[in-house]
Amino acid sequence: MKRFLPVLALAGAMAACSPAPSDETPANPDVEVGSNGTLRIYSARHYDSDRLMYEAFEKASGVKVLYREAGANQLLETMKAEGENSPADLIIASDAGALWRFEDAGLTQALPEGEFESRIPARLIDDGRQWVGLARRVRGVAYDPERISADQVDEWSDLADPSLEGEICARSSTNIYNLSLMGEMIERWGADEAANWADAVVNNMARQPQGGDTDQIEAVAAGLCGVAITNHYYWVRMTQSSSSSTREAADSTELLFPTFGPDTGVHVNITGAALAAHAKNPDLALEFIEFLLTPEGQALLVDETKEIPISPDAERPTGLDRIPDFEDSDMRLSAFGEHQAEAQRIYDEAGWN
Amino acid sequence: MKSLPVITLVAAMVIGAPVLIALMTGLIGGGGDAWSHIVSTQLLGYTLTTLGVLLLTSLLIILFAVPAAWFVSLYDFPGRGFFEWALILPLATPGYVLAYSWADIMDVAGPLQSFVRDTTGLSARDYWFPSLYSIPGLSFVMACALFPYAYLTARAAFSNLSLCTMEAARSLGASPRRIFLNVALPSARPAIFAGLALALMETAADYGAASYLGVQTLSVGIFRAWHSFSEPAVAARLAFLLILIAFGLQFIERAARGKGGVQQTATRWRTPRRQTPRRLAGWLIAGGCTSVLLLAFVFPVARLIWLSAETGLGHGDIWRPFFNSLVLAGAGSALAFVLALSVVIGARQNKVSQIMGRIAAGAGYAAPGIVLALGALFILSWTSFSIAGPAALVFLVWIYASRFTAAGAEPLNAAFSRAPANLGYAARSLGAHRMQRLMRVDLPVALSGAAAAAIILFVEMLKELPATLMLRPFNWDTLAVQAHAYASDERLAAATLPSLLITAAGLIPVILLSVQLTRAGEARAAG
Repeated sequence: MKRFLPVLALAGAMAACSPAPSDETPANPDVEVGSNGTLRIYSARHYDSDRLMYEAFEKASGVKVLYREAGANQLLETMKAEGENSPADLIIASDAGALWRFEDAGLTQALPEGEFESRIPARLIDDGRQWVGLARRVRGVAYDPERISADQVDEWSDLADPSLEGEICARSSTNIYNLSLMGEMIERWGADEAANWADAVVNNMARQPQGGDTDQIEAVAAGLCGVAITNHYYWVRMTQSSSSSTREAADSTELLFPTFGPDTGVHVNITGAALAAHAKNPDLALEFIEFLLTPEGQALLVDETKEIPISPDAERPTGLDRIPDFEDSDMRLSAFGEHQAEAQRIYDEAGWN
Repeated sequence: MKSLPVITLVAAMVIGAPVLIALMTGLIGGGGDAWSHIVSTQLLGYTLTTLGVLLLTSLLIILFAVPAAWFVSLYDFPGRGFFEWALILPLATPGYVLAYSWADIMDVAGPLQSFVRDTTGLSARDYWFPSLYSIPGLSFVMACALFPYAYLTARAAFSNLSLCTMEAARSLGASPRRIFLNVALPSARPAIFAGLALALMETAADYGAASYLGVQTLSVGIFRAWHSFSEPAVAARLAFLLILIAFGLQFIERAARGKGGVQQTATRWRTPRRQTPRRLAGWLIAGGCTSVLLLAFVFPVARLIWLSAETGLGHGDIWRPFFNSLVLAGAGSALAFVLALSVVIGARQNKVSQIMGRIAAGAGYAAPGIVLALGALFILSWTSFSIAGPAALVFLVWIYASRFTAAGAEPLNAAFSRAPANLGYAARSLGAHRMQRLMRVDLPVALSGAAAAAIILFVEMLKELPATLMLRPFNWDTLAVQAHAYASDERLAAATLPSLLITAAGLIPVILLSVQLTRAGEARAAG
């Protein structure tokens, strides 16, 4: 036994000597921060540029930023379990449906009135101010212009047309972007018609749903399918890739944002923020939201992600000049979340795995 | 000594609490519409898919591991010394990292298919190409990642074949093939099954690779129930099914072990002298081992290095996550090692402790990390802790231990049972107490197994993903979390560096393990 003890002692010492976990470590150790308080963020994003964003806010405000990043569901369960003891002040998620679920679980509270309301389109603010949009993301299609013409896919209902048999590539239905898209269809068309659409699209698929949005675009470029369902920024990132083969793949396709019919606009989702129900520092949370709406904050938020800034005076990140012009859908964003479970049921029954 | 079962009881409680609590919440909590929807449309599919993956993975593992272990143990072929330790290397690479890499290699835009199109002028629709996003694809990835478990146990068993048994068989005129099939395989079967059972439990609980490849296993279904239907209780019910499957595997393993000659009675422990095969056969064997190593390690890791180099390495701060991973894995494996030791020692004292420890460890190992994390969250909500600062680390280390103790207990147990019973009888006849026998006979004999257990625990924890995602403190990423975050957001190039570092961090312990086991084998052969 004696021979094990040093090993155990060493392991124990490693754990004991590790730096005190995080609560003492600001995002940027060089900046004198914390004099104005500490902001704790639960974020469903994970971008290197988010660190820069936190650091910029620390510098500008003297507020220390602590963050925990995980999937929206993990954060939601964590907050449920923590209850009133939750240290979270602010929740950031990249989907309106996900934000709605935090609200539905009673984990958010109304944001105090603030300047932000004049800088975010009213449609992208929850009616009860439980969450607000910070950047926009559009779900569309990338298609092969040599096989498919734009008017074959300029409405979502077109994807159900038998002429596209064997042409469609899509990712799994469990993906939140597909669920939110279906949420809007259920709200607009009713569950029956939405289910018919899902059935028909499954029939038109070139292969079983697999991989992510980027994989679908690459499959179009390789000629395996004619149309890929994708968010705009995956396509934009590919056009900006440092790998020439990836750039060429994106360049061989066209990006298009289908509508839901005449004058309906396109499916726009958001990265948004919500004030945590038991936030200890609501003022700091609001201050951070307002910082993200400044030109500097918007640039840091969307530069790496290639989302579309929400504030009209913010500069667009490189690469976004190639996306088509579009009109936002007038849909309430809460509908995405409200219909999420039904959307999954419809996909399951259609065999869209 | 009477206190030992109490230690086991405490150990079993520590290991079993998170999974028990998650399961109870699942059974008590109403599943509602989501549960009936899943039962009517998905459950059969999830279960059959899981069983299909398990079956195919086990076939592939046996195909990869057993012949390699046999030839490495008993034949001198070109490169034997290298393959003996190199075949363990895939243990350092997590299944989900292999999935990222192989998916990229096999993808329609990947190097293989591009090559096919460039050389033939065909379009992607004109030819068939196997898809990794399938049950066979997932099975292949899991077999690549986990076959070293079976290789290790099989190699140990083949190396331990008593010389007398082999010589007896040979003198009776048995051909090498008959010796393998009729003598070696039956006596090594329990060890092979032990390694296989570990690998399959790991496969059943895998979330990262299965979800990346879109294969709807129970483990993915658990996540889906939770994610799309917001029903943790339903997720826990599905986990119950998964744990039943894992116990089924354990039961099959026990049954297969049967009363097969585990206890060697011969006193001549020398490993049989290695035979030199004919030249062509030697090269064929070397070719087989090379293929396994290329598929399971060299190709996927080389592809990651290529992607990393192509896109540049400048992605964020990597050293802090690296250090965090080492600390968490170190602390977690220390706790799990103590628990595994308590379980194994307790199991030798009485039957009740044995069953209790086995159930607790088995359930923890079979439950996906997500379910254990759910259990921890339920505990959190009762105890009014919040996941911040040191409390989060304590919870995380606990969940690691709960999840992986079985992976440490198995090699420890195997090491203990390898001690010839005669030694124990001799010690008893000399008047030694149980504790004295434990300290002076059993533990020294089991030392190499214990080191193996500690190393395996460390490497497994380095790779852990779902629980770490949910329970880690603020500003506290691990390499696994980083790799997953990048890959799940389709930034595979950015995911390559953390993925490679996980492999690198795991490589040193794995090489240590390999060298240590090889030396132990040589010492015995010389001794």
